[in-house]
Amino acid sequence: MTATELIKKVFFIEVLQGLALTFKHMVSHSVTRQYPTEKREPVPGARGLHALVRDSETGKEKCVGCGLCAAMCPSQCIHIYTSEGDDHKKVVDRYEIEVLRCVFCALCVEACPFGALALTDFFEYSGYTREEFYYKKERLLENWDKYMAGDKGREYFEKFWRPKAIDFRTPVTATSEERKSV
Amino acid sequence: MEDTHINSGNDNSRIAAKELMTLSMGPQHPATHGVLRLVLDLDGETVVKCTPYVGYLHRGVEKLAEHRNYMQILPLTDRLDYISSMSNNLGYCIAVEKLFGIEVPERTEYIRTIVAEMSRIANHLLWLATHALDVGAMTVFLYCFREREAILDLFERLCGARLTVTYPRIGGLKNDVDSQWLEDVYAFTGEFPMRVAQYETLINKNRIWLQRTRGIGVISAQEAINWGMSGPVLRGSGVPYDVRKVTRYGVYDKVKWEVCTGKNGDVYDRYRVRMDEFLQSNSIIRQCIEQIPQGPIMADAPKYTLPAKDKVLTDMEHLIHHFVLITKGPQTAPEGEMYVATEVPKGELGFFFVSDGTGKPYRMRVRSPSFVHVSALPRLCEGELVADIIANIGSIDIVLGECDR
Repeated sequence: MTATELIKKVFFIEVLQGLALTFKHMVSHSVTRQYPTEKREPVPGARGLHALVRDSETGKEKCVGCGLCAAMCPSQCIHIYTSEGDDHKKVVDRYEIEVLRCVFCALCVEACPFGALALTDFFEYSGYTREEFYYKKERLLENWDKYMAGDKGREYFEKFWRPKAIDFRTPVTATSEERKSV
Repeated sequence: MEDTHINSGNDNSRIAAKELMTLSMGPQHPATHGVLRLVLDLDGETVVKCTPYVGYLHRGVEKLAEHRNYMQILPLTDRLDYISSMSNNLGYCIAVEKLFGIEVPERTEYIRTIVAEMSRIANHLLWLATHALDVGAMTVFLYCFREREAILDLFERLCGARLTVTYPRIGGLKNDVDSQWLEDVYAFTGEFPMRVAQYETLINKNRIWLQRTRGIGVISAQEAINWGMSGPVLRGSGVPYDVRKVTRYGVYDKVKWEVCTGKNGDVYDRYRVRMDEFLQSNSIIRQCIEQIPQGPIMADAPKYTLPAKDKVLTDMEHLIHHFVLITKGPQTAPEGEMYVATEVPKGELGFFFVSDGTGKPYRMRVRSPSFVHVSALPRLCEGELVADIIANIGSIDIVLGECDR
């Protein structure tokens, strides 16, 4: 052991260096957020509570009951019941989501061909019973009015409803070039 | 039950001759990083026998995968290693792409490399935080979480979720990154080496840290290979094996970086390897952001990727593809078997598929690094002190979600 090593060991140099760092942090700006009183602005596109899109023209849900979201859902928490309406149109009788089973992967939003389902950025839902988390159609439509009304919903689908045509690699095969020339 | 356990050991005579105490450690022990249960036979404070019991977090992911199409399995892989779910998603997507023969665009490769390395940093930060906390350094825990929070915030801005990201897709990504996000990641990487230096100030030369980690849990290079170890644990023993260098995926061949190795194969060297990997990952992210090209993010593979949303309701073929892919999965999946490994922060994560040509895998097997490392835990612990078990568990960096699946 050299003399400097001995001095370092006797005088606890490495411990003092660590202590100096922690003391420096004691007087610096705190990074902790005091959550319930101090809330962070939710990030656009954050995957929170579900909402069914309300069609501004008809005032009803945009959903046509094709069932793709239910087919896609990896935790199988979406239940759709449809029947035949007056003019042989499909009517969505019930649209229900078991929020407690949902894993918030947003694959249902990707699966929906109409953009009729969205995940809002609201995440502070809690309750005392299981029934409170069984969201039926009316509550899901209410969620849309509450959290996604106006431009917010439109922006959500513009930005996060993917993939879009610009995301794809333009085919460089012979057939595409032929198509261009024709 | 404990008595039968003692008698079922290999070295019955030794156990019978001494008065041993059986100690059940876990599954609710905070230092076992999840629900790992160790049954220890102790001679005083020395561990004579260590038996890990796993399976408390078994959810049957491999079996569930047999009943879901290839896209639906993606959220399940988030929950294997929930500390670095981005890497697991990527490992799965890369494996399925190899199986299907899809080649993803260059921009996607760059973005994937960036997020994989961010995930590696986030994972190592949590590892360092908990490992240091176990060994006795509380401050490191708090500092590490500060930086991990920054990375998780960036993930949330990227894809809307902090922990279970589900960001990559088969043949591409969920959505493109914007330039502001890349700038913020770049700013983070500029600051991060200074943070690493702070952690090192706190523990690198600290005498308590050195005494708790040096010469503990030593495993030689040959033995580490024989146990099937991978990742930082193997590299800590001096084997320069890294799946990122050995097989080609991402853009790791287009950026400059080194494989970090240790020498002695003890807890301290494994700690050093991960600390060096912080800086290597940091430099990979910086280089990727500097080089990232413009371009599309989805592969041109209409049989396997969801069609563009703006074409689904205008083009009949796109709509048919959309319906078939979601309800049945890709119908043109090639038959056969495929094993593809990627380097996740914990080691080599492999996905093995048996495909029978339908939209679902006939069998999916996950080769998880944590499971292999848990199996080697008795080798590391036996003959050492009870207190060193904590250091050993910390140093192999296991997560039981991945181990039990």
